[in-house]
Amino acid sequence: MKNVRVARRYAKALMAVAEERNMLDRTAADLDRIGALVRGSRELRLFLARPIVSEEKKRNVLRNLFGPSVGPLTMEFLLQLVVKNREPVLLEIIEQFEELRDEKLGIVSVDVTSAVEFSPPQEKELTQKLELHTRKKVRVRFALDKAVRGGFLVRIGDTVLDASLRHQLEVLRERFTESGPLTN
Amino acid sequence: MADVRPEEVSAILRRQLSGFEKEVDVYDVGTVLQIGDGVARVYGLTKALMSELVEFPHGVFGMVLNLEEDNVGCILFGESSEIKEGDTVKRTGKVASMPVGEKMLGRVVTPLGQPTDGRGPITTEKVMPIERKALGVIQRQPVKEPLQTGVKSVDAMIPIGRGQRELIIGDRQTGKTAIALDTIINQKYTHTEKAKKEGIKPVYCIYVAIGQKSSTLAQVVDKLQQEGAMEYTTVIAATASYPAPMQYIAPYSGATLGEYFRDSGRHALVVYDDLSKHAQSYRQVSLLLRRPPGREAYPGDVFYLHSRLLERASKLSEELGGGSLTALPVIETQAGDVSAYIPTNVISITDGQIYLESGLFNSGVRPGINIGISVSRVGGSAQIRAMKKIAGRLRIDLAQYRDLEAFAKFGSDLDKATQAQLLRGSRLVELLKQGQYVPMPVEKQVVSIFAGTNGYLDEIPLEHVLRFERELLEMMELKNPGLLLTIAEKKDLSDDTVARLKKILREFTDAFKASVRA
Repeated sequence: MKNVRVARRYAKALMAVAEERNMLDRTAADLDRIGALVRGSRELRLFLARPIVSEEKKRNVLRNLFGPSVGPLTMEFLLQLVVKNREPVLLEIIEQFEELRDEKLGIVSVDVTSAVEFSPPQEKELTQKLELHTRKKVRVRFALDKAVRGGFLVRIGDTVLDASLRHQLEVLRERFTESGPLTN
Repeated sequence: MADVRPEEVSAILRRQLSGFEKEVDVYDVGTVLQIGDGVARVYGLTKALMSELVEFPHGVFGMVLNLEEDNVGCILFGESSEIKEGDTVKRTGKVASMPVGEKMLGRVVTPLGQPTDGRGPITTEKVMPIERKALGVIQRQPVKEPLQTGVKSVDAMIPIGRGQRELIIGDRQTGKTAIALDTIINQKYTHTEKAKKEGIKPVYCIYVAIGQKSSTLAQVVDKLQQEGAMEYTTVIAATASYPAPMQYIAPYSGATLGEYFRDSGRHALVVYDDLSKHAQSYRQVSLLLRRPPGREAYPGDVFYLHSRLLERASKLSEELGGGSLTALPVIETQAGDVSAYIPTNVISITDGQIYLESGLFNSGVRPGINIGISVSRVGGSAQIRAMKKIAGRLRIDLAQYRDLEAFAKFGSDLDKATQAQLLRGSRLVELLKQGQYVPMPVEKQVVSIFAGTNGYLDEIPLEHVLRFERELLEMMELKNPGLLLTIAEKKDLSDDTVARLKKILREFTDAFKASVRA
């Protein structure tokens, strides 16, 4: 989270270059794949974050891992990250890149957290409702969290639509206990 | 709580629960990027407003102070140790505010209005924002009523009017807080029936302690309680143990509470003790928020910090009820240096200053007010006529005394006129000495100073002056209460009163001289 500003700048730059060379889709697909791999491998994450490993070694590993599968632009970008010592931020850059691309395509990503899993028809209904609400295309990510207790909460950007039991219980507790002047 | 019947309980529960089943609640959130030392950087919160209140986990509240391109800087009003990076922050949609009302009187509260005196919750109907814009020219009128401090040298020569801003400035241990406390204690008489008859409206007091030791504040509260002054006083405590953001908002909370009384046509007095510490806590917050430092590392807007606070002191026009808010800011100087940044700022904002010197204080002149450089720019028009008549003479006599003081050691080599002036001056300086927590009503001050400026004291040995004053006032109270009452009610010295006063003083002085010789 801390490196949002850095990540956003790198993502913007990559985006601009990719558009210029007409390689946006290819680059996006590459980054998706890299992201999945980095997320999946704790070893790789630790390796990238370790400042003790020399630049040379990092570059070799990245070349060996991704060289055959990704486009030249993506490879160039990865190597440049190592030169600038920003490889620990790779995951965040990928996230920011996805966000930027979504913005461009008019897609809103929405997080839904619930205590019980949604059934497929429920998921579909919710997605349709959200698309109506935001008037944009919606990509919904569902997550489970027992702490919600019941109901669900939807997060669109900075705004939360809270229909969870947890929140209602909190409100109830505030009503019963003496609320300070701040909550009046 | 004793006799609540079961059916009532369920009724209360039902009332509490009604409207609870809201379908969906919508709020805006952000994520903590960085936290520490009372400030937080929050990612998100894109719609947050300036000085909006935000809620962190564990019931900690914060206030938005920085709106940047991709994050929001907040100050925290609670423990920051429990909050972690990645925690969710909620907008409340409200600006920081303070509960106000009569119920606040007699209580010790935090800058957010929560009680800290262990005497239970305070229920008020009204909540007002902490930061409010000061009133404009149309809503005001010139200061015209006196605010009696009960301190002779202040009321006579540096008079303070209701709605004025008078700075109390001096080194540590020179009696700054003592003057402020005396003033609060002296407002007790404005709440009496006698004052009501004399047409004096009650003054409600607010004492804002910023960055003081808790033990010092406990003593202050204790003293106010002993003197019965807590009945009309609210103490806002932001002691040194409070986080800097709390100390930063404390004076604004005090002003808000004072404005509540002012806006309802009443009179209020706020003491900000002290604004040097306030500037320091604001400097801390600003530097942590990475605002650029300026002179003495204070941020660029320290002037506005204090000017917007002190501008809120005002005397309202009659159409708005004629209420007033008087401000007594306190500034502590380092080794008498009034040309430091904060002292010069506050001196230029206020309508005058009471300058206290450690030299005077240590040589036994208490309160150690340096009359020469203390001024009150607007209070003169608020002084009662009786005082105005005698104070002019007092000021001149003291000024001449200061000019000649250097020659005092030549003693008998000086000519008669000079000797007489030195004699008079030394008596007046002695007369203006006054104990702490013994404010003097204005009519007694008038009698006392009248005796001094009319030369009755010249005949008394210096070491007997204080006894003379004490016994004179005792005698007046016992034998001539009518005369004191006349001065208090007429607020003027008519020729008749002067003649009577002179006659009484002549008799008393002669009797006193006999007692000295004996």
